[in-house]
Amino acid sequence: MKTLLSGASRAVLATASLTAAISAFGTAQAGEFDGVTIEAKLIGGQQYEALYARIPEWEAATGAKVNIISKKNHFELDKEFKSDIAAGTTDWCVGSNHSSFASQYPTLYTDLTGLVDKGVVAEFVQANIKAATFDGKLVMLPRAQFDVSALYYQKDLYDDAEKAKAFEAKFGYPLAVPETWEQVKDQATFFADPPNFYGTQYAGKDEAIVGRYYEMVVAEGGKLFNDDFSPAFDSEEGKRALQWFVDLYNAKAVPAGTTNYLWDDLGNGFASGTIALNLDWPGWAGFFNDPSSSKVAGNVGVAPAPKGSAGVRTGWSGFHGFSVTEDCANKEAAASLVEFLTNEDSQKLESAAGPLPTRTAVWDYISEQAKDDPYRREVLAAFKETAATAFAVPPTPLWIEATNLIYPELQAAILGDKSVDDALADASEAVDDLMQEEGVY
Amino acid sequence: MNRLKLPPWLVLLLPAIIILSAVVLIPLVLSLYSSFTSYRLTRPDSIFNWVGFFNYEKALTDVKFWAAFGRTVLLLTVALNLEMLFGLGLALMVSKVTQGQRLLRTMMMFPMMFSPILVGFQFKFIFNDNVGLVNNALQSLGITDQAIPWLVDGQLAMFSIIFAEIWTATSVFGILILAGLYAIPRDPLEAAKVDGCTAWQSFRYVTLPFLMPFIYIAMAIRSLDVARAYDIVQIMTNGGPARRTELLWTLIGRTGYVDARMGYANAMGYISIFLAIFFTIYFFKKLTQSRKELGMGA
Repeated sequence: MKTLLSGASRAVLATASLTAAISAFGTAQAGEFDGVTIEAKLIGGQQYEALYARIPEWEAATGAKVNIISKKNHFELDKEFKSDIAAGTTDWCVGSNHSSFASQYPTLYTDLTGLVDKGVVAEFVQANIKAATFDGKLVMLPRAQFDVSALYYQKDLYDDAEKAKAFEAKFGYPLAVPETWEQVKDQATFFADPPNFYGTQYAGKDEAIVGRYYEMVVAEGGKLFNDDFSPAFDSEEGKRALQWFVDLYNAKAVPAGTTNYLWDDLGNGFASGTIALNLDWPGWAGFFNDPSSSKVAGNVGVAPAPKGSAGVRTGWSGFHGFSVTEDCANKEAAASLVEFLTNEDSQKLESAAGPLPTRTAVWDYISEQAKDDPYRREVLAAFKETAATAFAVPPTPLWIEATNLIYPELQAAILGDKSVDDALADASEAVDDLMQEEGVY
Repeated sequence: MNRLKLPPWLVLLLPAIIILSAVVLIPLVLSLYSSFTSYRLTRPDSIFNWVGFFNYEKALTDVKFWAAFGRTVLLLTVALNLEMLFGLGLALMVSKVTQGQRLLRTMMMFPMMFSPILVGFQFKFIFNDNVGLVNNALQSLGITDQAIPWLVDGQLAMFSIIFAEIWTATSVFGILILAGLYAIPRDPLEAAKVDGCTAWQSFRYVTLPFLMPFIYIAMAIRSLDVARAYDIVQIMTNGGPARRTELLWTLIGRTGYVDARMGYANAMGYISIFLAIFFTIYFFKKLTQSRKELGMGA
């Protein structure tokens, strides 16, 4: 009897652990990929390492081995992928991908639709799945690194009665956390005291400034590209959007070097306490409120991204993901790894450190976890609100190339080398030439 | 059966020929060929899409390309001349030192030991408008109460890049000219002194002609270096803002590796190579001429 019982309990336990293994590792069976080695090229950086520490669990469960052959930031990975495509060395299996870069590699990655269960795909935020799908191909599964920007601000600026009085006298409405970009402009100009304190700042070069401009055009009611990808930003909405950047620069409400700034400069700038309002990514939330890294810790407020004159919020968004190459020798194993790295447990682990998830259930989970932490609750509420109307970059393989044509013209207008009209006309003409040369239309 | 017997000279040269073909000739021919195609890195089959002189025509009629070309020539001219003057001054001063000269010579070479990427980061921080060393120093000393946009302003951005180039490479001139100073025979200098020449006259008519071959060698080496300037500029300004510091190789690098338009980038590269060839020929001509004047060469 004892033997029977113990046998039965062993069977129950085995079934239970198998069920747990199946739920944790998707469709992979124990030892299913014995002897398989998956080569991976992954994004590197401290904030991404915690997830990679889970890889041995997948190896133990499936019998496969993961060999990380490259670890770089996305801009470097992008160059490496392009060189791989050119050299035909694309037989590694799993690559980190990003929604802003993904459309450039139409031949590199395989369609995950047949490799990942439909039910699994349905568990992700569907807007993210849509942005990960190009020409009907699901090219990546999103990880818990969803990015959209909300407005960080120094709270004490809004507690000062004298400031509030002076602001209302000057602008005719009460000083409160801004809800529109017009209010951001007023307040940034009001708070600025260069060279010691600035009202706001913005990313000023490369794809970064085009992304910021793009979301501002949308918030003004315009479009960056028409449906056939001809440029649409040389419009009234596009001009209004660019004028916002120009006005802030001319008013010295932003640091003089802002056209040279990228994300790190902006994050460190706000943390240094010299910036009043800062539209930035969720990954900075912890950094800004940590006294060891930030002078504004304890004084940080977070509000949803403001709206443009069309009543639309800015919401340029992107996310990281994992893809499987077309030339991978064992696509099933690679897809199983991708599924594991983006499953619920993986997303819970990553989002515990601050980044936003891309699975519906994990959004609920982190909201529940944050209920006793007012700052975290405020952060999540602001980003959730902004994410609701977020939008990805236009799905064209020429996105990065188009941004390289647009950003010098935006800079030229901001720095006063060209008028807004001339800069946008020149940028539009250059993008039009590119699209025609590439046979887009 | 007769075995193919290669002449001994060919057998001896074969390893060199094979290695040179693999690392120089084949990439050179391939890149030249690809400059006549619409080759994009992300579409490997586009390497067979022959477009004739389209890429060359496009580059030659592109204002942005010529602006970058002009800026590269400007950088080359200003940086090389200033490096030469500072290097000459440095070498003359070090040559007068009687104690600790070896230590000074080693210290002179320190900037050359840094990777250009690190030099770029170093000067990007030094010239940062908000947290940079220069602005903080100027503001603390009460010289200005403004945040000077060193890496943004049209003139200042180019100045900052030239400053970084000069900092890192003046010692190339210094070391080579110092070697020249050691090689000068004492007799002509003593003869000049006996003839009553002033210090300036001795320098201008005796020392300098002897130094010119060394100066031209340094010029030729550095002109090739500066004509392909990339790393420092890429880190400090990435050619911006608004293309104010765009040089040939930042433009070509972005076109080839970020935009993936390798065919077009190669065409621009081949046009740019003429710049490097022109300066090299020019400096070698000058070198031969100055050696001739000294009776050192045919």
